[in-house]
Amino acid sequence: MATATPAAPLTSAFSNDGADIIHQHVSVASQIFDDTPTRSAGALDQAYEIDRTVDHIISRDYHTIALQFPDELLHNSVLVHRLLRTRLPDRELYVLADTSYGSCCVDEVAAQHVNADVVVHYGHACLSPTARLPVIYVFGKRNIDIDHCVHSLLVSAGSSFDNNPSRSIIVRYDVSYAYSIDAIVQALRGQLDPSHRLLVPSVRRFHTSGPGDDSYATTPFHDGEDAVNPVVFYVGRESLSLTNLIVTHAACQVYNYDPEVMSASVASARTNKILMRRYALVQRARDADVFGIIVGTLAVASYLPLMTHLRKLLAKSEKKSYTISVGKLNPAKLANFAEIECFVLVACPENSLIDSKNFFRPIITPYELEIALNSEPSWSNRYLLDFQQVLSEASQRPDPPDTQKLKDEEDEDEDEDEEPMFSLTTGKFRKAKKFSVGHPDPSLDDQPGALQLRSRSDALQGYIPDAGGQFLAERTFRGLDRRLGQDAPGLLEEGRSGIAKGYEDGHRA
Amino acid sequence: MVNFTVDQIRALMDKPTNIRNMSVIAHVDHGKSTLTDSLVSKAGIIAAKNAGDVRFTDTRDDEKERGITIKSTAISMYFEVDKEEVSAIKQKTDGNEFLINLIDSPGHVDFSSEVTAALRVTDGALVVVDCVEGVCVQTETVLRQALTERIKPVVIINKVDRALLELQVSKEDLFQSFSRTIESVNVIIATYNDEALGDVQVAPEKGTVAFGSGLHGWAFTLRQFAARYSKKFGVDKDKMMAKLWGDNFFNPATKKWTTKGTTDDGKTLERAFNMFILDPIFKIFKATMDFQKDQLFSMLEKLDVKLLPDERDLEGKALLKVAMRKFLPAGDSLLDMIVIHLPSPQTAQRYRVETLYEGPMDDESAIGIRDCDPKAPLVLYVSKMVPTSDKGRFYAFGRVFSGTVKAGPKIRIQGPNYVPGKKDDLFVKSVQRTVLMMGRYVEPIEDCPAGNIVGLVGVDQFLLKSGTLTSSETAHNMKVMKFSVSPVVRVAVEVKNAADLPKLVEGLKRLTKSDPCVQAWIEETGEHIVAGAGELHLEICLKDLEEDHAGVPLKKSDPVVGYCETVQTESSMVALSKSQNKHNRLYAKASPLEEELSKDIESGKITPRDDFKIRARVLADEYGWDVTDARKIWCFGPDTTGPNLLVDVTKGVQYLNEIKDSCVAAFQWATKEGVCAEEKMRGVRVNILDVTLHTDAIHRGGGQIIPTCRRVTYAACLLAQPGLQEPVYLVEIQCPENGIGGIYSVLNRRRGQVFSEEQRPGTPMFTVKAYLPVMESFGFNADLRQATSGQAFPQSVFDHWELMSGSPLDKGSKIEELVKSIRTRKGLKPDIPTLDMYYDKL
Repeated sequence: MATATPAAPLTSAFSNDGADIIHQHVSVASQIFDDTPTRSAGALDQAYEIDRTVDHIISRDYHTIALQFPDELLHNSVLVHRLLRTRLPDRELYVLADTSYGSCCVDEVAAQHVNADVVVHYGHACLSPTARLPVIYVFGKRNIDIDHCVHSLLVSAGSSFDNNPSRSIIVRYDVSYAYSIDAIVQALRGQLDPSHRLLVPSVRRFHTSGPGDDSYATTPFHDGEDAVNPVVFYVGRESLSLTNLIVTHAACQVYNYDPEVMSASVASARTNKILMRRYALVQRARDADVFGIIVGTLAVASYLPLMTHLRKLLAKSEKKSYTISVGKLNPAKLANFAEIECFVLVACPENSLIDSKNFFRPIITPYELEIALNSEPSWSNRYLLDFQQVLSEASQRPDPPDTQKLKDEEDEDEDEDEEPMFSLTTGKFRKAKKFSVGHPDPSLDDQPGALQLRSRSDALQGYIPDAGGQFLAERTFRGLDRRLGQDAPGLLEEGRSGIAKGYEDGHRA
Repeated sequence: MVNFTVDQIRALMDKPTNIRNMSVIAHVDHGKSTLTDSLVSKAGIIAAKNAGDVRFTDTRDDEKERGITIKSTAISMYFEVDKEEVSAIKQKTDGNEFLINLIDSPGHVDFSSEVTAALRVTDGALVVVDCVEGVCVQTETVLRQALTERIKPVVIINKVDRALLELQVSKEDLFQSFSRTIESVNVIIATYNDEALGDVQVAPEKGTVAFGSGLHGWAFTLRQFAARYSKKFGVDKDKMMAKLWGDNFFNPATKKWTTKGTTDDGKTLERAFNMFILDPIFKIFKATMDFQKDQLFSMLEKLDVKLLPDERDLEGKALLKVAMRKFLPAGDSLLDMIVIHLPSPQTAQRYRVETLYEGPMDDESAIGIRDCDPKAPLVLYVSKMVPTSDKGRFYAFGRVFSGTVKAGPKIRIQGPNYVPGKKDDLFVKSVQRTVLMMGRYVEPIEDCPAGNIVGLVGVDQFLLKSGTLTSSETAHNMKVMKFSVSPVVRVAVEVKNAADLPKLVEGLKRLTKSDPCVQAWIEETGEHIVAGAGELHLEICLKDLEEDHAGVPLKKSDPVVGYCETVQTESSMVALSKSQNKHNRLYAKASPLEEELSKDIESGKITPRDDFKIRARVLADEYGWDVTDARKIWCFGPDTTGPNLLVDVTKGVQYLNEIKDSCVAAFQWATKEGVCAEEKMRGVRVNILDVTLHTDAIHRGGGQIIPTCRRVTYAACLLAQPGLQEPVYLVEIQCPENGIGGIYSVLNRRRGQVFSEEQRPGTPMFTVKAYLPVMESFGFNADLRQATSGQAFPQSVFDHWELMSGSPLDKGSKIEELVKSIRTRKGLKPDIPTLDMYYDKL
């Protein structure tokens, strides 16, 4: 079994003939694993940390092992598999490929297809805690000039220590430099005044023991909250991880060092721009009444409680929500759900921030949804991408009064929730449509779309709880006309055969 | 001191025949607020001696500081008119007590929207014209607006004291100057002649023109002098009035009236107007300014004017002011003119209903409006929001056109997007209180019947700027007001402290409410944009936002101008885009729309709601469209109403109607963010030439079509030589001859184009009219003042969109640079997308 998951091609919809996936070029980033020229067993052994993996598997006594490779490392999978096989003769080894979502996440679903006990994840990882399986991470080791790194970081950050010489420093890094982080920290300590506090997230072990073990989880900001305004150093090239870092640490200065081009720079210069764009998205989300919750991960721990939470949250605000799973996102797939006005993407932090102009509707993160549904349009520098944090924050907040209940209790005083909202995207008032799930007006069930008059006084009441029907009513095309008896009967013609994925007679468009 | 009570006013409200709703409109600095003081003082609200200085209707601090009106202010006043005068009123009246609801409006062009809101709720307008400056650009704008709203004008020629004291003109010159001004007013009135309104040409002999000085508090109409002289000559008052104007001469030797300026023996005669009206005024002026007090007192005695002892001690201008005010009190003459010549609501609503109401003319609401019936269903139009002392709350300011509004019963609040039978933009709520707007303060009243102007408490949170309130379930909306200015100047505002953001958002909401014209929104980049009509308007809005509405310190960007993207030719070849699954293909071409057509769409003459057959006929007849094409306009864009058209010119494509909705959605999206700079598109027609669709419905859904249709629109635009349009102001500058050189040099520096330069006859003032790109207008006023040593005063109003020369696709051109700077500002990649991003090869 080479590939386990149903194919969800990267850039195209489900319905083509599969030609582009065959012609698609994957850039083979061999630099992570410095092995391609030789391909000698020894070098591979080194790069893929075969020894450590084997030791760990044996010590924990895992029997069925899934090996997950990202696309750019797939070419080495056979060699790695062979190496492991020779060392672990009596265990079952499977190679997983073609992940449903991002390759940085552990593909637990694929692993479960073979009932794996453990997943060995190769290459770049987002380190989101997994929901079900223990994981052994093999990050690879990229070259880095430690002295140059420390020196240039301190030079570029020099000014930020001027007025506060004892500012704390948080050191973050791309996982492929994890092996050398101790040396970097050591070198930093040597160069810095001892009054600086160095906070380094502790990735000591390269494996997790089981579900929910988040020893890899990135150290969140509040660890250093006692330290005033820390400075963040990031070792690694420009990537999604860096974007996440500067977004979640908006209050700090972030300096990054790119070991490949050997230069350090201020990364937080664009923080404000990014946050502003996200803020604009939140404003658009405030205007939406129908939401789609996109399942963007099946591995990150607590994605299920989070989705339940989101659904509850939306129901509480009397918004309509649909939960959809479309694999990797693209504009065509999402535009098929034309009645959905805003999407909420539940995905691992690295794949959460979708900033593409090509999508028809805004895509936001769960935290942004919380803000958007808040009646006070607050927006601070805080930004959360981690599910756990979003959930725990939500549970700490006092439950907003259930509008549904309120309405039932004080039917007279419905002024508050009926007030129109000022929409910032249009600069006009808009009245939110309400989709209450629990209490559909029975009189409306038989005639959706009808305007109902309430008996008491002359207040209007009655909302149509059917978002899809409402959307359809606004369309000009509502399906085929049944022109019964108006057309002459046609002659029988031979049609196509096959399935929609690819007809046997090809496409004569 | 106030010589009326709220009860008296309330009693009069029930007599629609004795109400006059009027606005005071004019060019900036022609003396509206000052003149309004005369009436306010006549009502006893301010002391007579302060009239002209207080500017009672300028309620804001910055209005007082700058000496200009910014917001329109309403005031209700009670007057009793001489019983004799009542007979002159040609419409139905009941008694000699009158209620005048007066709205003083701003004169600066940037605040024209306030004038529009004021005109909507009034039936008559007092047009103030400076006798030295004459009819100016804003006089024309507001007069035109008044006439299209079917509002009857009367004119007062103001600042006559200036002509006498500063310019020292002769009597005949003054008469000529008066008649020229009246003629130019009548030319404008004739242009917008409306049969339903009847003949509204103004003429002194009819009593619809007054002359006076707001600052000195005196004014007269021919009626007053006619009353004095009719007894003396034993002629009927109306006949006397006719004799007192125009080519009527009195020969004192023969005691005969004639229409020739010379007697038979060749002696020149003095014009009756000069002889009987100007002469006493000139004499009083001369006597006072030459310090011949005895002569003055004897003259005043003859005229039956009595001065108090302490007033007799005054000297110079102060004495002149008192004497003239006693001789010809401005309040009286204005009051007469207003009461006699402006229509009552009962008269006016009969002919205004057609222009006011959107629904059929025979439904209960229309009939209620027509008859101004307080017992009919309620129809009330809220034209603007007036801030209350309670922060964040507003009085909904409007006019009851039918029925009676009072606190308590539930009424329907219909916003501008309300469609009868649907429930969008509709709220059913009750009014909490009704109040009378009295300038700086309000008076609670119990209810308010049809024909009156009123303030409402408790409905402000349901209306953004304006709306219709009604008790009838079948009622349509009142027509939305059309503003003569558009918000073309923008700034981005930011809070200095991130924690203040909620306050900024709330502040923007309040700002949008408080001004009929200002707009606030958030860009894709997350910037909060405030857009206003001009630099001054924005300055005031931002000041209000910072100090009042948001109350937090703000960072403001430099003003920026919104551009429009357009195309200059037809696409050089057919643009093709394939859907993502490669099974659907759209073929399209873009071409420019006729400029006139774009304007008609923007002004609402051609709308997406028109019947498509009628619209097609108009397009075919007026713009030479093919009728079959014109019938197949799929949509307007952006916002479904904009000046871009998506036209289906395909022949026999299967399933085409299925993708229409997707294409419409995509076209809205594409026209909102054009291909070059993501600015709005304008004046583009996109023809869908051919479409190939997959036979299975699932493969030609919105997901495939929406992105494709957007891409094909972009590709077609890129192939059609894209261009940018920039907004252009019409500037009118008045200045003496020696300042002309300075005006030209400033305009030249700023890409301005002068198209008219005229000297105002009888004055040294020149009027220069020019087109000036809005982009170049920032700091123009200050620049101009410097170049002309403070003599020139410009008025700029948005006039049109002008195509900038060149195309953003020309490498290294200025316009490419501009597009790149816009893109950078928006946080986009600076390079314009290339064709191959949107164009697919077959």
